[in-house]
Order: sequence, then structure tokens, then C-alpha cells
Amino acid sequence: MKILKKTYYLLAFCLFYLFKLVQSNIYIAWDILTPGKQSNPAFVEVPVILNSDTGLLMFSNLLSMTPGTLSLDISRDKKTMLVHVLYYSDEEQIQNGLKEMQQKIKRITG
Amino acid sequence: MNDSISTTVLLIAFSLLLAALILAFTRLLKGPSINDRIAAMDVISIVVMGFILVYSVLINNAMYFDIPIVISLISFIGTVAVSTYLKHKNG
Amino acid sequence: MDKIIISIFILAGSFFILVAAIGLLRFKDLYARLHAGTKAPSFGILLLLIGVSIYFNTPVVYIKSLFIIVFIYLTAPLGAHAIAKSFDNKGKNKKQ
Repeated sequence: MKILKKTYYLLAFCLFYLFKLVQSNIYIAWDILTPGKQSNPAFVEVPVILNSDTGLLMFSNLLSMTPGTLSLDISRDKKTMLVHVLYYSDEEQIQNGLKEMQQKIKRITG
Repeated sequence: MNDSISTTVLLIAFSLLLAALILAFTRLLKGPSINDRIAAMDVISIVVMGFILVYSVLINNAMYFDIPIVISLISFIGTVAVSTYLKHKNG
Repeated sequence: MDKIIISIFILAGSFFILVAAIGLLRFKDLYARLHAGTKAPSFGILLLLIGVSIYFNTPVVYIKSLFIIVFIYLTAPLGAHAIAKSFDNKGKNKKQ
């Protein structure tokens, strides 16, 4: 039963990844091809709630492929991650989105 | 196999890739720091992989599929090697 | 019908690679350039590989292209991370 649930979560995560991938590419193509400056870059420190290395790899990979975020650095005790945000609008919104992502991964890796 | 893709499509794809190669090469020439040049080299390796894939469709030969594998392996190792060198140099 | 799908995939892939190169030239600082240079080229090569493997349509080609896609999607963020981490910004952006 448990393994069935994990398989379901993994498939849902793959669909989420593909959706984010297409969305991020449309965003960045739109930003590049239209004239004028829309980007508003900033650095954000994100607390990490994952405690396995596989989960951390999946999170940073997903982070680099989602629209407008890029993982830059991780602290030595694996508790905070430095993230570069291209479209900075609201600190709380960004933190909530990233936390939701981490919870999705935590359901898979346990 | 007689139902090949029309040559016009392949030529348009070639010209898009050629434009990408020229633009990335411009960044490679004038990049302010070495890190910009490494990023440009990454993009150039992807462009070369695209060239080989489109060329394999043009001459209808699936044997060319091995070359992109080798290019992707070597380009990643080169990127990490130069970055590690820079990190050690900067202290 | 097949031909039209393959042509669309190949043209879209080349277009996304061109977008990446334009972004590489147009953005102002290194981090924004890395944004353009990580996402768009891997998506472009994904579309190109899908188109070309539909064209050849043999098992070997499918396996090889799956290998290339998995490898590129594992290593492109790692490469960007390595480049950004080795960038010496005179301590301007780091918070600590």
C-alpha cells in the first residue's frame, strides 16, 4: 500500500516537473524576445526542510528548472539555500511556493 | 525511405542554429569575466549537438546519434573542471 | 502527417536554442545569463531529440535519445551551479 502511494506521488511529481518546464521556457522566451526590461533580480535565502541527499538533488534540480529561480549555494550544514530570483515581487509568496515544492518532494523521499 | 522531410525545413533549422552559434560566439569573445565565457561554451556545445542531429536527418543515417552523447559528457566535465580551477584560484 | 509533426519539433527546438543565444547576449549580468543559458537550451535539445527519434523510429535511437535527455537534465543545473559558485563578485551579493 505504501509503495503504491509513493508511485502515485512520483508520477504526480513528474507531471508537475514537465508542466513547470514548459511554463518556465515560455516565460524566459517571452522575457528575451520582448524589448524592455521586466526582470527584477534579487537574492533570497530559503530554509531547507529536506534531510536526504536525493531529495536535495531533486529540489535543486527542480528549482533550476522552474521559472525565474536558480540555485546558487547551500550552507555547510544543509539548512539554508541561496536562491537567485529573476522576477522578484513578494518575499512571502516566493517562500511559500518553494516550501510547497519541498513538501511535494518530502512525500516521495520520506 | 522516400518520405524524407523537405529540405527547406532542414535549411531553416540550420540557419536558426547558425545564428545561435554566431551570437554565442560573440558572447564568448567579449564576455567580461571567465564565467561568462564558460556559460557561452556550454551553449555552444548544445548548438553543435543540434547541428549534428539535424544533419543526421538530412543524410538519413542514424549512426550519428553517438556523437551527441560524447559531446554532452565532455562538455559537462569541461565546465566543472574550469569552475573548480577558478574556485581554487580565487581562494 | 508524420512529416508535419517532425518538422514542427525540429523547428521549435532550433528556435529555443536561438532564444537561449539571444538571451545570453542580451541580459546584463552573469546570473541572468545563466538563467537563459540553463533552461532554454536543454528544452530546445529535448524537442530536437523527440523530433529526430520520431523520424528514425527504431528502438536503439529511442534508448540513446532517452540517455542524452536524462544526462542533460541532470547536468545542466549542476553546471550552472558550479559556474555561479566560482564567480568572484568581490563579496557584493553574498549576505554573510
